[in-house]
Amino acid sequence: MNLTRRSTVARHSQGNLTHMRLAIGQYTATSAVGAGLNAMRDAIRTGRSGLRRNDLEHCDLDTWIGRVQDVESVELPDSVAHLHSRNNQLAWLGLQQDGMLDSITALKERAGPERIGIVMGTSTSSIGRTEKAYRHLLPSDEMPPEYRQPLVHNLHSPGIFVQAVTGITGPSLTISTACSSSAKVFASAARWINHGLVDAVLVGGVDSLCMSILYGFNSLELVSPNPCRPFDRRRDGISIGESCGYAIVARPELIDDSDFVLLGYGESADAYHMSHPHPDGKGALLAMTQALQRAELDAGDVDYINLHGTASQANDRIESRALAQLFSENTLASSTKGWTGHTLGAAGILEAIITLEAMRYGEVPGTLNCDEPEDDFDFGVIRQNVARPIRYAMTNSFGFGGNNASLAFGAAHD
Amino acid sequence: MTDVDIAGAGIWSRKFGNWDEFRDVLAGREVEAGGVLKPELIPARERRRAPAAVKMAVEVMDQACRMADMEPQNVATVFGSGMGDMQITDYICRTLAEAPRMVSPTKFHNSVHNASTGYWSIATGSHFAANAISAYSDTVAASLLEGAVQAVEEELPVIVALEELAAPQPFRSVIDVDEPLAIAVLLTPQGYAAAPLAGLRLDVREEAPGAPATHAVPGAEFDNNFAAPLLPLLAALADGEPSTFALPLSQGATLDLSLEFAAAARTAQA
Repeated sequence: MNLTRRSTVARHSQGNLTHMRLAIGQYTATSAVGAGLNAMRDAIRTGRSGLRRNDLEHCDLDTWIGRVQDVESVELPDSVAHLHSRNNQLAWLGLQQDGMLDSITALKERAGPERIGIVMGTSTSSIGRTEKAYRHLLPSDEMPPEYRQPLVHNLHSPGIFVQAVTGITGPSLTISTACSSSAKVFASAARWINHGLVDAVLVGGVDSLCMSILYGFNSLELVSPNPCRPFDRRRDGISIGESCGYAIVARPELIDDSDFVLLGYGESADAYHMSHPHPDGKGALLAMTQALQRAELDAGDVDYINLHGTASQANDRIESRALAQLFSENTLASSTKGWTGHTLGAAGILEAIITLEAMRYGEVPGTLNCDEPEDDFDFGVIRQNVARPIRYAMTNSFGFGGNNASLAFGAAHD
Repeated sequence: MTDVDIAGAGIWSRKFGNWDEFRDVLAGREVEAGGVLKPELIPARERRRAPAAVKMAVEVMDQACRMADMEPQNVATVFGSGMGDMQITDYICRTLAEAPRMVSPTKFHNSVHNASTGYWSIATGSHFAANAISAYSDTVAASLLEGAVQAVEEELPVIVALEELAAPQPFRSVIDVDEPLAIAVLLTPQGYAAAPLAGLRLDVREEAPGAPATHAVPGAEFDNNFAAPLLPLLAALADGEPSTFALPLSQGATLDLSLEFAAAARTAQA
């Protein structure tokens, strides 16, 4: 075969930004503010933060964390006892909320388990379990027998766990692109359904507190000694949290009582730096613009945008810069990380669900802990909760490696 | 059913450092220099900071783009690895098991699963979507499917890069990989590339998978390497041999792959 250089016709420089309208079925989220949607709604209404002074076992950092209460006491079903890890305990706790398992059973009966896919997002996977194995290594440098869990010490651990406990048999994979992971699960789900590969996808995200993440972000001087203060002029870093969320994305015919539709997604790379966002927010802007184009929306149509808003110096400044290039003050913007902390690979779906709940109740969350807003930002956030009907909403998720994702959702009924 | 073209391919191991050396090894010829890892795409200063996992992936992605004569900033990327960068995981977990727990900030930001596509986008200036996935032992099938579906649905060329590293000692308790391997294939929508190497059809069969076929590369053992199930397809691509393969995709699904050369031949004649 001749393998000399070949000429190529580059005719699709932008790619195809086809309009979509996919049903969002049942969803659920568990975070530091509590397990399930009722706890989340209560916390947001009352301004109750889930952040606490760091009390994670073995961790002596002076910071605040968003820890989910009693994850370590969650018992896995016997059939998946071999998949034991904090991350899978959190995945199981989250899956048992809000009738999610019943909805999955109903979906399996309707579509067939082989016509449903699973796309999970995570940054930590079960590395907390690997850390623990390393604390107990044998003199031979082997893991002790109880830690020899091949299906746990890998990045697909959440996908393996969710396959096992749901009985869904279609294609399954785990996305791990740092803090955009579980926003990108919606993009893959949309492609799979639009392509006819499957009729529905169970998307999810789960990230759990562990030493790698806490000491790693601390080494980059990104961890705050205080509860995080997004968009506040005194903001001094992130509060790391853990969370878990799931949603059913499906062909519209499959979900009778769907209230929301996924209208668009945008994915981009900064092509700038591994751990610092592009100074002009170029990648963020590209992701938001793509999501709007796929949704066939003008920026002015968007009633609310849930921000990445980590409370790091750079993120909030640059995100506000990118927002100002697209949106006017008609669009309400807020960061909800003051409630949950930054839950990294699970943040995308957690905040997508916070956004869907804001649409459901017409209650837009403010920006908890933003008491003295940065006054020279190009685009400001709302500090207090606002009651307002929302027809179209977006979310932003940006990760290390300059990895960006934005999502656009709409109300299913006018 | 999903139909794409393969416009280019790249491969690296300690036994063969590029496509030509891979073909030499397949043909039983001696390869002298095989396996030197120095991806020219990454500037020298960055290359020193880049972990082996990143250098392997960027090397094979660059090879695939060069073979296709395609500008790297115009392609989206899907990086797939079942275990991720086990060397960095080993470093971080060892460091955290001892006092003081001083993790290197550079190693920490390099520990994200999308480090390879991050370095790739920085080196090429590509702003296109950069994905990073794992499906454990089914990572080859899941990555090819994800890349092919994206290529068709978004009408874009997509590089699918697959790799697995040698396992550090503690990981040998759960996975025993000796030889690192990285492979990239550049997938395009049909008709996008003027002269593709081959056509690839992907079909999901609703049937629990059997074990994937393995391919013996003379003088090289890739046992337990989750990128190795792609070797038979690469060998068929090198031989110009129409072939079919079945790879495990999930607990209840198998991915059937069919490699055919009619499209490539038709284009070449036209």
